[in-house]
Amino acid sequence: MSSPSLVALLISLKIALWATAAILPPGIMLGLLLARGEFLGKTFVETATSLPLVLPPTAVGYLLLLLLARSGPLGERTLGLDLDLLFTWKGAALASAVMALPLVARTSRVAFEGVDRRLEGVARTLGLGRARTFIEITLPLARRGLLAAAVLGFSRALGEFGATIIVAGNIPGKTQTMALAIFSEMQIGHDQMALTLVAMTVALTFTAIWTVEVLLRRRIRTP
Amino acid sequence: MSDGILLDITLPLDRFTLSIWWKTAESALGIFGPSGAGKTTILESIAGLRKAARGIIEVNGRIWFDSGRGICLPPERRGVGYVPQDALLFPHRDVMGNLLSGWRRAERAARKSAAPDRVLEVLELTDLAGRGVLSLSGGERQRVALGRALCSGPDLLLLDEPLASLDLPLRRRILPYLLRVRDEFAIPTLYVSHDATEIKTLAREVMVLDAGRGKAQGRPDEVFTDPSILPMTWTEGFENVLHGTVRETSDSTAIVETEPGLRIAIAAKGLVVGHEAVLAVRAEDLILATQSSSGLSAQNSLPARIQDIRDTPPADGIGGQVLVAVTLGRLSTPLFATITAQARHQLALRPGMPIFLVCKAHSFRVLATRDSHGGAA
Repeated sequence: MSSPSLVALLISLKIALWATAAILPPGIMLGLLLARGEFLGKTFVETATSLPLVLPPTAVGYLLLLLLARSGPLGERTLGLDLDLLFTWKGAALASAVMALPLVARTSRVAFEGVDRRLEGVARTLGLGRARTFIEITLPLARRGLLAAAVLGFSRALGEFGATIIVAGNIPGKTQTMALAIFSEMQIGHDQMALTLVAMTVALTFTAIWTVEVLLRRRIRTP
Repeated sequence: MSDGILLDITLPLDRFTLSIWWKTAESALGIFGPSGAGKTTILESIAGLRKAARGIIEVNGRIWFDSGRGICLPPERRGVGYVPQDALLFPHRDVMGNLLSGWRRAERAARKSAAPDRVLEVLELTDLAGRGVLSLSGGERQRVALGRALCSGPDLLLLDEPLASLDLPLRRRILPYLLRVRDEFAIPTLYVSHDATEIKTLAREVMVLDAGRGKAQGRPDEVFTDPSILPMTWTEGFENVLHGTVRETSDSTAIVETEPGLRIAIAAKGLVVGHEAVLAVRAEDLILATQSSSGLSAQNSLPARIQDIRDTPPADGIGGQVLVAVTLGRLSTPLFATITAQARHQLALRPGMPIFLVCKAHSFRVLATRDSHGGAA
């Protein structure tokens, strides 16, 4: 294994892990809100959550770029400090996180919907408050689905291309992930290198998705 | 702090408006009614899982809900032990983990009589403590759910059809546990059931619920023999409930003494001399005789006295039946026998008349047995 491909692999893993860590808390909260909340505009939130799933990734990337540009709503001039996201690995992580949000939120929602609300009711009668009930009953019962949400989010972040290249560019050794490296190597005719990268990506994502399948199947077997 | 319970609940539902008013100082309470009468809704309102539209819920001087004053305690602050019909055990915890789910509150609560060790012992769960709940049988689940509620130190136990999900032999096994819990922990308890015999066995005061309204309330033996209530219990037949002590046993029969000298022969296996037994006998299985007769295969011919004779309203299936209340020995509650109007005239039955109650040993059903210290057998 050549060292440039190893570098791209490590960058990919770093970005995907940070993206997953960043999107899990808000994604799970959103999933909980959609599963349990009854509020005005729920359908709007549902639809908006799914947008990154159907929009062209380049469109999402461009919106993020506008948001983070020097004079954008989250830019240096507006905030008074530089978030240092554009053309850095952090920006790539942000772009991947946004792209992973729909999968994380939707999978968590299903996980929470699978928890019998009457069990939560019984826990309340036993003296557990709302927060304790969530921590002691809801979370443990939804744990497999939530784990699946994390793995799916991670896989999505790992394969992210369009939004990443716009927000973070394609800088070898800095923001060049596996997905971007495959594109670059193919462009310059390094077919052997591109194929090696593809094989590595397939192995990584196959393992991740396989894990999800196993987790979800086990969840169905033990209700 | 005044003891007792006040339930004043109004709650509009899809098909009718639930509206009950019940104030009582009794601690073993039952709600009887057909399915769909609103029984579970009442329990959920008391537990705080469903908010009543209007009313007051007060338990032992503590107000849990008062719509007039805008008080509505969340479920976790009410101090209720709720045992749902399908147990609803926490699947990610073992038996002990389930039992201890509410222990945090129990430690704060004033009532600490139900220590987990004692609950395990009374409900005979000690051997199951480390088991996962998914592998438990129906009866074991019910006991764990009951134990979990007890361990949380409740001021009021709510039992939703505790026996309905169990088959008949299992009911006979669980009923003694309910009786033990009632007597051992002395926690005010509200049983909900569509089975009149169950309520008669467990409750000392009952409310009959029909389409969201309290149709009658009072002592079970009085309420269930009320001519307007009787048809509601008739599908399963009216059953008399008797308490006694096993005095003799043989291969397939036993003698149960309900009071000194009053011995009843029953056909039952596996009873133990000295144990208490709760028996049930259907009203239509009791035969009235004006004189003690010989040459009958029936094993019981008990001297009794007619207390009261009631004509049942001619509803479906029971038209023209006569319900005769008979006092037996010193029993505080009369037994009821159903006879035809024809038989009543032929025998010229009237209140105060001495009579013999004739009954086959096979007509008695053993509802529960336990040793005299309260242990289930």
